Amino acid sequence: MKSIFLEIKELNKKFGPINALKNVSLNISQGEVICIIGPSGCGKSTLLRAINWLTPPDSGMVKLEGKIIGSENGKLSIEQSKLLNDFRARMGMVFQQFNVWPHLNVLENVIKAQIVVAKRSREVAEPKAIKILSDVGLKDKIDEWPDNLSGGQKQRLAIARSLAMDPVLMLLDEPTSALDPELVGEVLSVLRNLVNEGMTMLIVTHELGFASKFGDRIVFMDGGEIIEEGAPNIILKSPKTDRLKLFLEKLDITSLKEKH
Amino acid sequence: MLEYQIFFDYGPMILLGFWLTLKIVVCAIALGIPLGLFLALGRRSNFEIISFISTSFIELFRNTPFIIQVFLFYYVLPFYGLRLSAEYVGILALAAFGSAYFAEIIRAGIDAVPKGQLESARAIGMSDWQAMKNIILPQTISIVLPPLTNQTLTLIKESAVLSTITVHELTMTGLMVQGETFRPFEVFIMVALLYWALNETIATIMRKLEKKFSKDRKKTDTTKPRIKNLQRKGL
Repeated sequence: MKSIFLEIKELNKKFGPINALKNVSLNISQGEVICIIGPSGCGKSTLLRAINWLTPPDSGMVKLEGKIIGSENGKLSIEQSKLLNDFRARMGMVFQQFNVWPHLNVLENVIKAQIVVAKRSREVAEPKAIKILSDVGLKDKIDEWPDNLSGGQKQRLAIARSLAMDPVLMLLDEPTSALDPELVGEVLSVLRNLVNEGMTMLIVTHELGFASKFGDRIVFMDGGEIIEEGAPNIILKSPKTDRLKLFLEKLDITSLKEKH
Repeated sequence: MLEYQIFFDYGPMILLGFWLTLKIVVCAIALGIPLGLFLALGRRSNFEIISFISTSFIELFRNTPFIIQVFLFYYVLPFYGLRLSAEYVGILALAAFGSAYFAEIIRAGIDAVPKGQLESARAIGMSDWQAMKNIILPQTISIVLPPLTNQTLTLIKESAVLSTITVHELTMTGLMVQGETFRPFEVFIMVALLYWALNETIATIMRKLEKKFSKDRKKTDTTKPRIKNLQRKGL
């Protein structure tokens, strides 16, 4: 059993009367790939955004590399607030809507945070950016503007931008949901490489094919709670709870079950 | 009939007034835009005191007549021991008035940048200010330039109000020459032409800037301009 790498403890978040997160706890070890599935509005995106405090939870805490962010009442201490930006820089985040920076060209998108946040010099940041961009297959696009890229290229750029910060953990919020079907493959193949390199990842996804093949664990959420979690082949083939059964039926993955 | 002699006799005097208008307006804009940016950021601040002060300032100067603001600056400041010349009072009043509008324009520009831009900047570890400076504000420039131009032109025209507190700027000079010559038509046509020339120059420069900023992003997009060129040539 590997040691716990990221510890999420009793996160709670309410949006008005709606419980987006209800006592969500999760322990993740290094190199683990966790796929979070569930119906829309079940709190899976909120969970990712609470982990890096982009949506501050009402209470609970997150522990990464021995550093703790959060508390019982959700308030951060002054030291924690100061720590927060470093804490976030350790985690890469990829959004459904890419959120690449349109006023910077492809290369600058990957350089900017290296210089501003990691305080690297341009001489260090630029070769690193070029290396990562070629890893995601965008080497011939470094002078392009994001507006001229396809959705798949934008998402690969967003992944490269995060990777340039040397994150120890990647949070991916439906990275392929806004893509045309024929572009999903190129982004998934970049993610596959990341899995093979041993990156620890939390992915909110509807790509059950990808989840069952590369996920070490699947977490099913509904109504802000973790309903079921476990290895993909177990959880997808023999769901224990009715809610997961219903969800899988809705997704109509009978064909997928036969494949695996 | 036009009396052309007036243009030669009083032209230099009018130009002197124009020169003062130019100086006052340039100073007011140079003060007003940074102050406007400061107010816009202040209004969004998490510190309630800062956001309250910024909001009050903006609302006060946006919702009262400029001429009253000028009177307040001119007649009230001396009571508090601040004795400034009319020119300086004029610059301060114009800058304060302008900054309230500039602030709202910049705020609208910041709000027009999609929320995900700030989120992705914060998620990668940038502080609020780093995200603002590196990601959000550069994207607001092309959004705010047209309304900012409008407001600058308004500010230049409003500077005529300063004639009421004895600032010898263009309008005041015009009034004085008119009093001497009793030729309102010649005099005010000169005044109007000078305001027009100044505003037209600024509008042209800003239009060029707008084009530059919107073109920069698209400069690798080679297909669109080519199609446009073909259309222009009627092909």
